Amino acid sequence: MGKAVLIVDDDPDIILYVSTILEKIGCHTSGAKNGEEAMNKIKQNRPDLIILDVVMPLLSGVKLYRDLKVSEKFKSIPIIILSGISKQTFLDSQEALSEFTDQPIPEPSAYVEKPPEPEQFTKIVQRFVQ
Amino acid sequence: MDPEKPRKILVVEDDSDMLLGLKKLLTKEGYEVETSGDGIQASELVRKNFYSIVLLDLKLPGIDGFEVLKLIKETRPDSEVIIITGHGNLDTAIQALKLNASDFITKPFMKEAILIALQRANEKIAIKKKLKEYTETLEIKVQAAIVEIVRRQEFERRLIQSSIDGIVGSDGEGKIVIYNEAAEDIFGFPPAEVLQKKNINALYPAPIAEKIQRDLAGQIAPDKPLGWKEITISNRQGEEIPVRFSGNIIRSNGGTIGSVGFFHDLRQVKKLEQELIRSERQAAIGQTMASIAHYIKNILSGLQGGIYVANTALEKNDMDRFKAGWEMLQKNTNRITTLVKDLLNYSRARDPEYRMASVNEIVQEVQNLIEPRAREYNIKLTRNLDPNLPPISLDPQGIHNALLNLVSNALDACISGRERDDLEVKITTAQSNKSLIIEVSDNGAGMDEEVKKQLFTSFFSTKKGKGTGLGLLTTHKIIQEHRGTIAVKSEKGKGSTFIIELPKAEKAMNKGGQ
Repeated sequence: MGKAVLIVDDDPDIILYVSTILEKIGCHTSGAKNGEEAMNKIKQNRPDLIILDVVMPLLSGVKLYRDLKVSEKFKSIPIIILSGISKQTFLDSQEALSEFTDQPIPEPSAYVEKPPEPEQFTKIVQRFVQ
Repeated sequence: MDPEKPRKILVVEDDSDMLLGLKKLLTKEGYEVETSGDGIQASELVRKNFYSIVLLDLKLPGIDGFEVLKLIKETRPDSEVIIITGHGNLDTAIQALKLNASDFITKPFMKEAILIALQRANEKIAIKKKLKEYTETLEIKVQAAIVEIVRRQEFERRLIQSSIDGIVGSDGEGKIVIYNEAAEDIFGFPPAEVLQKKNINALYPAPIAEKIQRDLAGQIAPDKPLGWKEITISNRQGEEIPVRFSGNIIRSNGGTIGSVGFFHDLRQVKKLEQELIRSERQAAIGQTMASIAHYIKNILSGLQGGIYVANTALEKNDMDRFKAGWEMLQKNTNRITTLVKDLLNYSRARDPEYRMASVNEIVQEVQNLIEPRAREYNIKLTRNLDPNLPPISLDPQGIHNALLNLVSNALDACISGRERDDLEVKITTAQSNKSLIIEVSDNGAGMDEEVKKQLFTSFFSTKKGKGTGLGLLTTHKIIQEHRGTIAVKSEKGKGSTFIIELPKAEKAMNKGGQ
């Protein structure tokens, strides 16, 4: 226990909400409000799990996800996408970005549509932090 | 047979001395000579063989020379007959010429006279032959020309018939002489009721028919086609049919010989246009629905999150966290309020009221409204207005709202990008030949490509918790109603410029804006 989880969302409410859920199962949470800030935090302190929103200003979730998945150093960190947009839209935007890279981008470890349901969300997170 | 010199010659003469003499002379001249001393034998020879030239004495034993002449002309029309007559027997000679003898020589004759007569006969044969050849060639050529003309006529007829555009042709008086199937589809009259019966006045809208009639009468000289334009014609059933029309006066040798009109049926196009507008509208509604759903999902997350955080805090008796949860509930309740307000703003069925108004005045109003807020954040608000801007037909309230939205956005962009102290929002008006141009530019946060792409297409906002993403959508809608355009130039970190172009002459969309 005591795994480090980074929650990336431009909405501070979501960060607070998800933190509250995850602290109940003993996670250490931190938040980042955009992809750029998230990248800096990941470089400083490698998290065990990332909860990632898709639509954000500055560096979007789509781009951050791709950057992490093509990075040798970080590609093994599991990422749960938590977003208001559908999984298909997310995959389509990944596909659109993939023109710029030769590497196939793996699908996210899990995909949860907002709003997260605490009990179910806890179960999903537990798959990656135990 | 050598055309210049027919080889076979028949000499018919009852005087055997003369016969012998002639045979000798003609053989020497290169002819193949046969002779006969009487009419009966001569007739048999003529029936049996073809002689190019027959030298025929009219006074013969057995059958009269005239009978032989008639026989030759009946059975061998191509044989030339030279009559031999006694001296002074001119009547007989004339009679023979009437029966198509080609020449005559009188007895006693001289060698030269015979040779000249033969030469003339030969020339005649040659000419006849040439004439025959020429006639035959001419017949072949005429035949070929007729076939070609018929083929071309048929080709042109089919060309006109198979045109998908209606083609109506008139003669110089305006009477309709060409009327193809497509024209029948448009006008509804069967060809039998139109061709040679109706005048273009009966089919064409009055102004066009009158102009063509004037041009046909030669009152207007220039050979300029009536360019394509969209008109409405009414058909046999009285239906109004939209068509694209073009026409021309047909001239030949300096005179007018007719007119032609082309009618491109626009019914299908108009229908497709309607369908396209409908389906675009449906797609837009679908997209809007999806965007609203997405936005509500975010609020719902905040509300559920707030409840969850507050409940958890209560369990742990953590007052700080309880406050945070409670604030989440308040904030997201406010977000719903804003959303509902913006939705109402967007959809409110306010009829645009168009009147002649000055864009500069509207800019002034908007600037006055925004000025206090700009001062609060120490942002310079400047304007650069073209003083010669003409008033145009517009909906002042709509343009006011659109501009207010753009200028507020510019201010927000400056506020969120506060890394410099020379922040500025600039409103510029200018004009081109056809339109008025309003530019709103800022040197605030700017946008990356991803944000730019979503500007007008979705329910997208970068002002989490504050904006609904409806502002630009509404602005876009207003500008579209004015048949104008809105474009954006932006660079991340450097600022954005929104450019509105409003047409000067174009009448704005109908009331309600469809």
